[in-house]
Parts: sequence; C-alpha cells; structure tokens
Amino acid sequence: MSTTRAKPKKPTLKVTPSSRVMNVSTSGVLRVNHSSTYARSINASVSRKSFSLAADSKILDKSSVQTPKHTVQVFDENGKDVTPQPLYQPDPAAVMSKHSKIFASDTSGGTMSDFYSTAYQTTTNASFAGPFTRSVFGSSTVSRGSQSTMESMNEEIEDPSSKRDISISLSDVQVRREEVKELIKEEMLDDVVDRYLIESETLWLLHMPAVSVSVDSEEAESVKERNNLYMELCKNRMGNDKYVERSMQTFNGAPKTKEVQSEAITMVDAATTATTWDMYDSFRSAGLGEAALSPDTDKASVPEIVSNHRLDPTRAPERTMSVISTTSIASASSSRIEIEPFVVPSEDEPDPELVLQSEKFQQDLFVMERIILENIYQPKLAAYRQLPTLEDPDSVPKVVPTVVSRREESSLDEESTLTPALERLWSFSCELTSGHNVSSMAWNKRNPDLLAVGYGQFDFKDQKSGLICCWSLKNPTWPERVFTCESGVTTLDFSASNASQLAVGMHDGSIATYNVESREKTPVIDSSDCAHKHTSPVWQVRWIDHERGASGEDKGETLISVSADGRISKWFLRKGLDCIDLMKLKRTRNEKDKKQVGDKEKKSEALISRQAPGLCFDFHPTDSNIYIAGTEEGHIHKCSCSYNEQFLETYIAHKGPLYRITWSPFCSDVFLSCSSDWTIQLWRQDLFTPVLGFTSTQSAVYDVMWSPKWATVFGAVNEGRVEIWDLGASILDPTIVSLASPGVKLTSLLFATETDCILVGDSDGQVSIYQLKNLTVGEGTQVAALEDIIGSTLASQL
Amino acid sequence: MAEVEETLKRIQTHKGVIGTIVVNAEGIPIRTTLDNSTTVQYTGLLHQLTMKARSTVRDIDPQNDLAFLRIRSKKHEIMVAPDKEYLLIVIQNPSE
Repeated sequence: MSTTRAKPKKPTLKVTPSSRVMNVSTSGVLRVNHSSTYARSINASVSRKSFSLAADSKILDKSSVQTPKHTVQVFDENGKDVTPQPLYQPDPAAVMSKHSKIFASDTSGGTMSDFYSTAYQTTTNASFAGPFTRSVFGSSTVSRGSQSTMESMNEEIEDPSSKRDISISLSDVQVRREEVKELIKEEMLDDVVDRYLIESETLWLLHMPAVSVSVDSEEAESVKERNNLYMELCKNRMGNDKYVERSMQTFNGAPKTKEVQSEAITMVDAATTATTWDMYDSFRSAGLGEAALSPDTDKASVPEIVSNHRLDPTRAPERTMSVISTTSIASASSSRIEIEPFVVPSEDEPDPELVLQSEKFQQDLFVMERIILENIYQPKLAAYRQLPTLEDPDSVPKVVPTVVSRREESSLDEESTLTPALERLWSFSCELTSGHNVSSMAWNKRNPDLLAVGYGQFDFKDQKSGLICCWSLKNPTWPERVFTCESGVTTLDFSASNASQLAVGMHDGSIATYNVESREKTPVIDSSDCAHKHTSPVWQVRWIDHERGASGEDKGETLISVSADGRISKWFLRKGLDCIDLMKLKRTRNEKDKKQVGDKEKKSEALISRQAPGLCFDFHPTDSNIYIAGTEEGHIHKCSCSYNEQFLETYIAHKGPLYRITWSPFCSDVFLSCSSDWTIQLWRQDLFTPVLGFTSTQSAVYDVMWSPKWATVFGAVNEGRVEIWDLGASILDPTIVSLASPGVKLTSLLFATETDCILVGDSDGQVSIYQLKNLTVGEGTQVAALEDIIGSTLASQL
Repeated sequence: MAEVEETLKRIQTHKGVIGTIVVNAEGIPIRTTLDNSTTVQYTGLLHQLTMKARSTVRDIDPQNDLAFLRIRSKKHEIMVAPDKEYLLIVIQNPSE
C-alpha cells in the first residue's frame, strides 16, 4: 500500500459537465473527507481480504455485468481517456469500514496524492491499470449514493476494462451483500472453511504520477507560471480571507439530572368469572333492561315500605334479579299498602313472611313433603309398583311388622313364602277421616295414582256429614283434596272422558259432581235443584260411555244412578242437572212364594211403595245397552236402556239385599253378586239359577269385585274378613283370607289395576293397601279356566 | 297462609324429620325447628352449595335451573328446595 504523501494539487483535468465532482475536488475539507473515505476503503480492502476468494469472485462476476449509471469520461490534456474506474465495493466490508474510520484519519491525505499525481501526470497506462487508477471522479459515486457507496466503489477491481461499466448502486450492493451472507450461511453450516490470509497486491487507490514537463517545452512557461501561482496561493493561504478555516462543534448542553418520581401505582387485582349462565342472563336482561327500568322507577316508592330489598340499579348483574323481585313483591306489597294505614306497626313483618305466602314456596313445600314421604314409604311404594325393594345399606335392619293373615302367621318362613298371602303395605288415613266409614272407593281413570274415597255411613242412624278425600299414592298421610258434604257419601265414580270430574251420590239422595283439579270446596253442580232428584239414598252412580247414541240420545258419557226409591236414572246437563228415568224397579213377587204360601198371601205386606229399592247395578262391559240391577229384595233384573218399562230377565236366588253386582271383565256373560245373605253367587246370563255359590262365613258380604287381571280371581269383603277367591284353585274356600283388626268392619274393596294390590276400606276411615303375594294363578287371564269351571259345574249339576 | 303453616307443621311431624328451616335470601331464618347456631350453620353452608349447584346446572345449559337438591349422607338426608327468595331445608333421618 503506498502511502506517499503528495500535496494536493489542483487537477488539470477536464471533466465532463455531468460530473459534479469538481466542486468536491476544490474543497480541501472534502479532500480530507475523500481521503478519509479512500483510506477507509483501503482498510476495507484490507479487511476484505479476509473473505473467501470465492465470494469475491462471485461478486466480481456479478459486478462485471453492471452498467454504470453515470458515464463520466475524463480526458486529460492529451485527450486520453483517463476516466477513473469506478471504485466500488460489493462486499460487506463497508460495514467494517465504518469501524475503521478511526484509522482512516491517520492516513488522511494519503492516497490523495496518488490521485492527483495520476491525474496530473496522465499516465494513462498507470491510471488505467485498473485498480491503480484512483481519481477523484471515483467520488462521482458520492453524488450517486451515500458514503458507504463510495466506500464500496473504492474497492479494487482487478479487471480494468470491466471497471468502467461497473457502478453499482448501493441498494444492489447491499442486496448482494445480504445474499452473499445467506449463501455463506447455508453453505458454511457444515463446512470447515479454511481461511487464507495472503497479502494482496498493492491496490492503488489514487495514483497521480507527477507530470513533468521539460523546461524546453512549450508548456514549460505556463506550467511554471502555474506552479508559481500555486505556491503563492499556498503561501497566501494563511491568514487570507479567502480561505477560511472553520470548524464547528456542536454544543453539548450541560447535562442536568432531573429525577421524577411518580406516585406508586397501586395495583388491584380484579377478577371475574364469566359463567355461561351469567352471560345468558345478561343477554336476556339487556333486551329487557330498558323495559324493566321504567317500572323499576315507578315502583321505587313502593319498596320504601318493603325496605329490605336493595334496589340499586347500578349493580348491573343483579339488576334483573332485583327488578323481578320488585315486580313480584311490589304486587304483593301493593295489596298490603292498602291496609298499611291500619297495620302500621307491622312494617318489618311483611318481608320475611311474604316468602311464606309466595306460591313457589307452597309448591316447594308440597314437593318437599312428598319427598320426605317417599323416603319413608319407599320400600312400600316399591312393592306396590312391583319394583325390587333395595335395602338401605346404612340403615339398621329391623323387623318390620306386617299384618299377615292369621293362617300364615304361625307358619315358618319357608312356608310363608309359598302360600298366598296378603301383605299390608300402608294405609291411607289421617285425622280427618278417623271415625268415618269408608263407603266407596274409585280410581281416577287417567291418573292411576289418584284415588277418591267417599266416607259415609250406610245405616240410617248416626249419619254424619260426608267426606270425600282424594288421595295420591305419593302421600299416604294427607289427602290431596278434601271435600265435605252435608250428608254421607255412599258412592262415587270418576268420569273417563273428563278425568277430573267426580260424581258423588249421597245418602240424602242428592248427586253432585266435583272438579278435583281445582281447590274449590264446592261441587261443580248439584242435583238439589232438580225436580226429579232421588228422594232416597243414592246407592250407586256410574259414568257410562254410550258408544252408539241410539235414537237421539247423546253420545259420550252419561251419569247413571240407582237409588233406594227404586229408580235408575240417567242424568244430564240441561240448565242444571236433570234426569230421566231409565227404569223403575218394580217389585216383583216371587212366583214360588206366591204359590207356596197361600195363607200368607192375604197377609201380604202393605207396600210402602211399588218400587223396590235398587242397591246396585252394572252395565255390560261390551254392550252398553244392557245392564243388570240388584234390589233390596234380592232380585237381579237384567234391563235394557231401550225398554224402560220391562225387565228383560230376572234372576232370583238371593234372600237378602244385594250389595254388589258386577260383570266379569273377561267373560262377558258371567256376573257375580253378593248380598247380605252371606253368599256370593256366580251367574251366567242365560241361566236363571246361579252356577256357583260361595259361602265362607256367616256375615254379610258387603263388596265383591273381580280381579282385573285374572278371570278366576275375585275378592270379597264381609264384615270381618277380606277374602280372595281363586276359582282355579278352589271353589269351596277362599284362597287368601285376611282378618280385620278387631272392632273394625271392612266395608269396601277395590282392586288396583296395574299391580297386584287391593285396597280395603273399613269403618274406621282407613283404606289399607294389601299386596297379593304368591298368588299363583297361572298364565294369561284364565278365561278358559273359568269357562271350564263353569262348564264342569253345570255338567255335574245335570 | 293457614294451609302453609299446616303443611309446615305436617312436614315437621313426619317420621324421621329432624329439622325444618326456612330462611330468606339474606339468611334470616323465617321458620326453624333447630337452635339458632345450627340453623345459621346449615344455612350458610347450604346456601353456598346451592349456589354452586345452580351455577353448575346453568353452566351446562343456561335455560335450565336448579329445582331441588338432596344430599344423602350416612346419617341423614338433607333436602333443599332453593329459590331466589328463600331456602327451604329439611333434614330427615330416613331409616328411623
């Protein structure tokens, strides 16, 4: 590297006007700068040596393609082209050159001498020798780009011819630099790269060989003159006004330290959980919020009285809650406001008590009670519903007393599991019903868990006010509905078409219908206004569904009743309850008696009425036109709705009043009758004598009912026992007998439809539920078995 | 009102029922058959549990809501009928 110091001389080069470098060159300062830059570039070039040669060559190859932006051509006096080769540096050495600025200042002005000398001496060969040619016009790149560009331009390029064309813009260089970097990185990841440090050739940045003119030449004079002028200029330079050296330095303001302290920012953690329902509620209330706010302000005055509720509308999430509660309480409290002036001291009272009055609370109480009872009665209810009863693992096992029929009590456990028995599950009773006689029971047609029980005395004497209770299986301790009636209830029946309608017949002959859905205590309709109402106790009412409306009759359900005044009446609604008589039960004398008792004929009893009191009736299960009715005389009359004057048939066998008569649900021409003559008779429609008769004890049989499940099974209740007869097992003795508690008479019987349970009502107001256990009847409905029995019996009779 | 009182009385006399508590939304007991400290304890704890249960139910489906809560333990069963206004709590020993 040549560091010859040459005085900066004014170059005598003619420069094409395009170059703006002329200004640059005259400035001494700039020269310094230039030199510094050149020096930088030298350093850069030195540093560049460290790069791999391959990279260099690449750059050079690329750079050779470049075309100069400005073509500055410098011709010296001889017309030779001394255009300095553009000096560019395609390598990233420019970055490092910045660091080397410090060094550059040392070598300031170093290469400038070269430049000028080159320019002056116009040794074209030397100047064109490529890298040696450093001309100030290399600084033309300054105009083009930044200093870094010039630095890059100052880089030496081996091939001189190609140098002309080489001018690379900064951006290009930079880009290439980066590309090169990337390439290097990729390639060099795995490679072991060898670095060779070699001394490169001397790079001439600026070579200005001195131009010597012989003294004898023509130019000598001018040259000398010029030299002298120049020397004078240099001498005059000091202190000359023309030349002003000026340096500037930025003022460094005196630093001042200022401390500022802000108040400590107190951090508060706020957290909120946005639950799904919270967002849902907010969404809903956002739509309702505006609408709800206005009533909120109206009712703002109201809650002053009901002061406990804070109605702060700013609490947004609770706003809806409080508003809703306001609206509900305000309505309740508004009614209280009216009485407020009189009940002044109880201002604090309403608030907690209001809770008790709310409907929701009543509902909750209702449900809660049922749940408690379910806990208590769960095993029993499960047995009723024929579910397996689960043992509570935590409960202490204890012996549950069961009222098992006497016959099985003494037997061993193994035997009791095999013999049929009645197991008592629970009983419907409460303090309201104690002392009342259960007269009738009926299941609701739609809800098999709902039972209506009528309480009333059978006898004429000690008549109390009647009672109707609707019990639900889910609450055996308290009825769902309680209706009190003036006179004893003797019969009731639920309607099938309107499941909440309950028809009640009473001891005083009146008939009423109740709506069990409502909580009203009064009947919907009463027959007391009817002109043709019964004058004697109504012993049975039934809702009958006429499938075919014959000759103008109403289709659908009608209420039929039989009463002790001997009439079977059909009731319908026409401006109140009105009835027409289907049949008048006339007294029929027994032909046999007439003939036998000749004398006594004359002493025939004075008839109080021509009609025989009817005690029971039953419509044919399939043919709703035919029905049979039982009278107090003991006669059974088969009648038809189409004839209201005559009976179709009369069956005479019983010697006492018939308490119950019922068709078999399976065999359509078989019916059972029971009466106070201790017997139960099984009839077939076409035979005038009973097929079978059953007697077990010497007490009146109050009630008999076919089992809804088996054709051969029926139940009977007499005063002291409940009997279950299974004709398939025995026609002489009841299969199961269960004795009543002493002092209590059993009065009514009802089979449960879905399960194997029976309900027995007694004279103490209790309705007990018994489960039929181990009653092995056989499969199917046993219709064939019943018919077989009947057939064999008849055959044996003949 | 009389019917409500009657029902409450009936509930209290059912078999196995240990105590009945009715508290309003602020935790003030309206009706209780237990002593005050027990009432307060039950109320406080069950209120929190009810809120949690309701939050759970409604998180799954916001249109749903908690209707009833029963906790069966070895000794008792605690039944809670929750509402925005009140809490009806009955403690029963079902195997008594």
